[in-house]
Amino acid sequence: MRYLLPLATAIVSLGMAGCKADPPGSLETRTMTFAKHRVFIRDKNQANPLPSNASTWADGKEAFSHYCAACHGLDGQNTGVPFADHISPPIPLLTSKDVQSYSDGQLKWILDNGISPSGMPGSKGILSDDELWSIIVYLRHLPPAGSQGTPEMYNR
Amino acid sequence: MKTSVIRRGILVAIMFASAFPGCGPKAQSFPRRIEVTAKRFEFAPAEITLKKGQPVVLELRSTDAAHGLRFRELNLNVKVTAGGKTEVQFTPDKVGDFVGHCSVFCGSGHGTMALTLHVVD
Repeated sequence: MRYLLPLATAIVSLGMAGCKADPPGSLETRTMTFAKHRVFIRDKNQANPLPSNASTWADGKEAFSHYCAACHGLDGQNTGVPFADHISPPIPLLTSKDVQSYSDGQLKWILDNGISPSGMPGSKGILSDDELWSIIVYLRHLPPAGSQGTPEMYNR
Repeated sequence: MKTSVIRRGILVAIMFASAFPGCGPKAQSFPRRIEVTAKRFEFAPAEITLKKGQPVVLELRSTDAAHGLRFRELNLNVKVTAGGKTEVQFTPDKVGDFVGHCSVFCGSGHGTMALTLHVVD
């Protein structure tokens, strides 16, 4: 009984520390990256039904600006997003190898379903399939960092 | 005498018109008019059947926010302002079922707004 209070205090303290949005360690990052690429993210072999051309890219850019830009910036590289480095895990650059090494099908799966517990939400129903596939074309050919300015919502 | 000349003139004109039917006035085929209402997050009606080759005027009316209706395969995209209406004329040139989506982001259910066009022979 005399150990109950210290034990409860220790558990609560651990819990509080565990809630802090500290950057993940390298072991956690490597483990999660492996698990996402090899286990959790599906539809690796699904192909993009839309052609990769200037028109689809423009569609993708527009759809991206409505929804994704709030967290990823207009350029997919977090430009102007004030909290990008304060989330755990931090919001990745969409030009990074970690993101670009997903297949088109896997990227679509991520857009549809999100990734728990990263904070990446699913977009199924919010954007149409057509828009989501066009976003993937945009992701494959992102403009240079900073070239698109800051999302309008952070300029007010 | 004067009346007789007029009658003969009319008769000649009728005979002339009968001999060259291609030169007379043609019956015009007016485009079919279809009204579609857009509101968060649906189109009404949600399905329309059209005939291939028959011209159509599609009127899109919004009862709330700005919306759009896009059929990628038909190269058709029409947008309407909040509470407004607009129309577009087109002629479906291929048979099939085509699903159009809202092309102006309108909120959390935007991606579910769809209208199916059945184009038949």
